[in-house]
Amino acid sequence: MLVQQLFNGAVTGASYALFALGLTLIFGMHRILNFAHGAVFMWGALIGLYAVLYAGLSLPLAFLCGILGGAFVSVMLDLLVFRPLRRRHGDELSTIVASIGASLVLLNGAQQLTGADTLRYPFGVFPLAFYQLGGVKVSSEQIVILLTVAVLLIALVIYLYRTPLGIEVRAVSVDEKTSTLLGVRPGRVYFQTFALTGALAGAAGVILGITFNSVSYTMGEGIMLQGFVVIILGGLGSIPGTVIASLIIGVVQSLTVAYVSTELSDAILFGILFVILMVRPNGFFSGLHVEHRVA
Amino acid sequence: MATFIDTYRSLFDLICVYGILSLAQYVSFRGGVLSLATPGFALIGAYAGAILLMKTGVGPFVGAIGATAAGAVAGLILALPLARLRGVFPAIATIGFMQILVSLALYAEPITGGALGFNGIPKVATTPYLVAAVALVVACLAVVNRTGIGRAFDAIRQDVTVAQALGISVAHYSRVNFALSGAIAGLGGCLLAYNTYSVMPDEFGFPMLVLVTATVILGGRSTIAGALVGTVVLLVLPEVARPLRDERLLVQGALLVLVITYMPLGIVDSLMERRSLTVAARESRDGADKASA
Repeated sequence: MLVQQLFNGAVTGASYALFALGLTLIFGMHRILNFAHGAVFMWGALIGLYAVLYAGLSLPLAFLCGILGGAFVSVMLDLLVFRPLRRRHGDELSTIVASIGASLVLLNGAQQLTGADTLRYPFGVFPLAFYQLGGVKVSSEQIVILLTVAVLLIALVIYLYRTPLGIEVRAVSVDEKTSTLLGVRPGRVYFQTFALTGALAGAAGVILGITFNSVSYTMGEGIMLQGFVVIILGGLGSIPGTVIASLIIGVVQSLTVAYVSTELSDAILFGILFVILMVRPNGFFSGLHVEHRVA
Repeated sequence: MATFIDTYRSLFDLICVYGILSLAQYVSFRGGVLSLATPGFALIGAYAGAILLMKTGVGPFVGAIGATAAGAVAGLILALPLARLRGVFPAIATIGFMQILVSLALYAEPITGGALGFNGIPKVATTPYLVAAVALVVACLAVVNRTGIGRAFDAIRQDVTVAQALGISVAHYSRVNFALSGAIAGLGGCLLAYNTYSVMPDEFGFPMLVLVTATVILGGRSTIAGALVGTVVLLVLPEVARPLRDERLLVQGALLVLVITYMPLGIVDSLMERRSLTVAARESRDGADKASA
């Protein structure tokens, strides 16, 4: 029973990692705390669902639609909201406020589209089979999710650390001005990071939409809050930290829901957040940046 | 005329209550603290006020003072981990704080009434009391702004490093800031409970956070009038134009994006800056005239 809870939590946590990586990468590279990332996630889930419901696409194609949709929304966010702000040298407060505003606009659109209903995938869209692995019941869905997340994570790391494009991205994250002098175009880099993180959020949206079989315009809010705890625990900007922290948070959440109480799950999660902030505000894993801390 | 007042009295009351909550958020931004804790403090104030009034039998004045004190204490406690942190950390942590309080209020049903909350709170905060409360808060803030605390807040907001170099203890003034903001928000939350007959946990979530942030950003972050002007504009707009009411999220979201990008100082601060620029220009022109004469 306990092992089963641990495993289920880890699978959910793996999907959180896709979401939280976008949050932490955008912050680590561009110093933007993107409050609209949850809305991007929600739009990815919605597009994936609509691809199945109305376009009649198969699940892998719908997954692709969700990824592309998330990337598109995220890039538009950068072009319409963050780029004008950058041109006017906005500070941290202004990026937070602007992204909260943008997320309201995106929420409003989804609310109109869905009529504020909770939508579900048609029954049997995912062929379910169960396997017994050393006392743990594993579903075919969970195997596919774990494999997909692993493939996406490996692709992300290869992209960032093994391709010329990824080197440009990392150069801008270290010093935007210097990399501009060296011939890197920041606009192109922002486009890439937002497309990439949006795609990951869209993927997470489709996966979690299928896992819980529920898609609604409010689904981005909850994961946004979990994402905050994850990126603080993992250290803002750190890829391995975020992945480990996501797994931890997924497990903690599934254990509190199973053994303590559903209502207290949020309170426990954020209790952890405060303990981390008091003990180690930089998280438990070294990040891309050293955080500023005064006094 | 009588019907006019009756129609708009509830709106006016709402503007007073949210004016106080916006002032609490204004204190945070003015002091350079990126805290979004106002809804959390308001929740504490609302429940403290409601419990004091309904279960202990003290009068509404004692209840309101108790709620204010509870907010201030919550601010001081929250400042323990947060006063030393800068940047986006306080923003994330205070959103967590808000979420913890909402889920605790839902969970602790014997004390808080769970999801249904408190109902049947007598409407003791009528319009005259609300106006008096706004006046009191504005007066207190005006006094604070004229003391060293206000100047320290200004210095920290404009440049943390310079403030430290001038010998201002950033951590100390952040603690003061959290306590002051908590006290005001506690009072605002209590008045919300005393004015609307009920308290429910859901009232103190993201919608309140967005509204109080939007009012301060729209009005202006460095003057008391800014928060009040922002509150009036944001609450009256949906009443004036029907389509704006149906698309409230859209209007608030688009306003936030446009204002922070194209008018980052907000309405009142932009006007003040323009005025001080023209005054400076006139003075320098006068000075030049005198010099040439």
